[in-house]
Amino acid sequence: MKITIGHLYPDLLNLYGDRGNIQCLMSRCRWRGIEAETIAFELNDTIDFSGLDIVLLGGGSDREQMLVCRKLRETRQDFKAYVEDNGVVIAICGGYQLLGNYYKTDQGTMEGLELVDMYTEQGEGRLISNIILKSELFDMPVVGFENHGGRTVINGNRPLGKVLYGSGNDGKSGYEGIVYKNVIGTYLHGPLLPKNPQLADWLILHALQKKYGDQVELTALDDSQEKEANEYVCRRFLK
Amino acid sequence: MKIRRLMAIWSAKAAGFACRKMGRQGVTWAGKIALKIYPPVLQELAAEVRKKTFVVCGTNGKTTTNNMLCAALEAEGQKVVCNHTGSNMLNGVVAAYVLAAGLDGHIDADYACIEADEASTRYIFPAVKPDYMVMTNLFRDQLDRYGEIDITMNILEEMIRSVPEMTVVVNGDDALSAYLAMDSGNPWVAYGISRQVMKSETNEIREGRFCKKCGEKLDYHFYHYSQLGDYECPKCGFKRPEPEFDARDVKVDDRISFRVEDRLIAANYKGFYNVYNILAAYAGVRTAGFSADHFNDMLKKFNPENGRMEQFRIQGTGIVLNLAKNPAGFNQNITAVMQDPAPKDIIIAINDNAQDGIDISWLWDVDFDRFREESVHSITVSGIRCQDMRLRLKYVDIPSILEGDVEKAIRDRIRDGVGNLYVLVNYTALFGTRNILKKLEGELK
Repeated sequence: MKITIGHLYPDLLNLYGDRGNIQCLMSRCRWRGIEAETIAFELNDTIDFSGLDIVLLGGGSDREQMLVCRKLRETRQDFKAYVEDNGVVIAICGGYQLLGNYYKTDQGTMEGLELVDMYTEQGEGRLISNIILKSELFDMPVVGFENHGGRTVINGNRPLGKVLYGSGNDGKSGYEGIVYKNVIGTYLHGPLLPKNPQLADWLILHALQKKYGDQVELTALDDSQEKEANEYVCRRFLK
Repeated sequence: MKIRRLMAIWSAKAAGFACRKMGRQGVTWAGKIALKIYPPVLQELAAEVRKKTFVVCGTNGKTTTNNMLCAALEAEGQKVVCNHTGSNMLNGVVAAYVLAAGLDGHIDADYACIEADEASTRYIFPAVKPDYMVMTNLFRDQLDRYGEIDITMNILEEMIRSVPEMTVVVNGDDALSAYLAMDSGNPWVAYGISRQVMKSETNEIREGRFCKKCGEKLDYHFYHYSQLGDYECPKCGFKRPEPEFDARDVKVDDRISFRVEDRLIAANYKGFYNVYNILAAYAGVRTAGFSADHFNDMLKKFNPENGRMEQFRIQGTGIVLNLAKNPAGFNQNITAVMQDPAPKDIIIAINDNAQDGIDISWLWDVDFDRFREESVHSITVSGIRCQDMRLRLKYVDIPSILEGDVEKAIRDRIRDGVGNLYVLVNYTALFGTRNILKKLEGELK
């Protein structure tokens, strides 16, 4: 079995240790004997979504996000088709905001990719904190770090989880992130995947099942160190 | 002489003395008290400096560069006020001046050398009105506190322009710093290294890949490390400035040597990045009009004892302590450690206190896979975030020993290690670790 990960524009979107998410996906495949390859796309590259099994969209500064969005809108139809066909996407922070209809800041409104019905508007101050979620998708809590000025409204879509500590999508709904088909969007970095191995495996499993059929299963790995790091965050912040 | 000002200075001195007695490293308390009692204290004391004021800014190398610059000016016979400890926010800067003032409430100094935290320049610049600014580099650091580098650049740009006569002494190899200086309208002078010295790791995180002037991707002829190198914009022509102080014949192994102007500079330091620190101090003292004839003598004696590549020897184990607090700095540390071919143990202590940045995701932007070498006998992870550090290493297939207690980690490696120990720590772990090493030095001999 083989997985091809498309890392979109790491040149521009590479804040907050996003490389760690790629490293985590690659290692967890390799440790199981699954072949894994990452293709890093630069701004002027054409993206053939049909050759990708997981798409990773990371975070960048507002200026860089704008550049990326303008570019990605050119291939919006292909990206949309990939998503509707159950393609796996993990979008983090700035990348998460790009998934929606628009991102409105005091500098103006940036059109989004309209892959998921949601939108983001800049709020008063940035939401900066360690963050912990309880997600229906996983037994383990999802832990990470958030740092965002945008407030995201997910219009009745399914959130990634309920906020146990931290702010989440908009600081008041009590929820964080979004799950739509095989797309996960979230503000959590830290990076997200190493301390949340179940989320990493969810992405790998869905990518493999789409490609090779529903009978695919993942062999268990020794996640004791991942669990300890996850538990440490919960112990420290959940009193 | 205003009574309030005198009160402020005396109280601060008393507080500073008390803090030192209590073994506290931070002198910021003294500054806070002085400001509270007499708000214009910094402005007035700064105005008493007889000749010129230097401010040193940039992500990495500030403390070393500033202390070296201070020592270089002293070697030229000048009396200098300096925030030696690296307390670089407003309170720390105020403390440097009040603690240097005499009991009569006046400063007796020819020069001031002030290291300034980038975000704090807003308060420091208007008060000290610098004549020279040494700009070392801009890397990603504490994103939770500073936000994106763009925000830091905006603040610095505004501050540079607020003192239009100030000369910027800039690292021309950093496109971000060079852009700030060249675009400001202020007089500027560049230092740099025009020839490639060592190969840069290909997958390093690099900032500012895109031209600040026009947005095009910059072309690089080579990289020294991170984004430092020889760059040029293919579209608008923005390019690395010709350095007035150009380090040539750079050699970095157990010690550093290079030529600049008609001089051979040699120092007993490790780490390529120290070439930049030395060069920045040299460029500063030369720009201020000194011949710098005593620069090499100064370097021979220069021993900051502040946990920057500080060496200890405990029960036959040679120990090097160094600060590593962001990806660019940590990658340079790894390069320096791996230049030592001998077997070694490594301890990495990572905290996430406010001064470190509470977001530790930067660990994943460091190229730790370079520790996957035979000469690395063991790696111990410690500090508040030791769990994250262990996981970071796991994902590049490096096993590590977890020991949250730094003192125990050090004792264990002195006992069972290979006798060659590197201790790499981030900011708030530095003072504590240094105190532990000092203590063990006395205790274990």
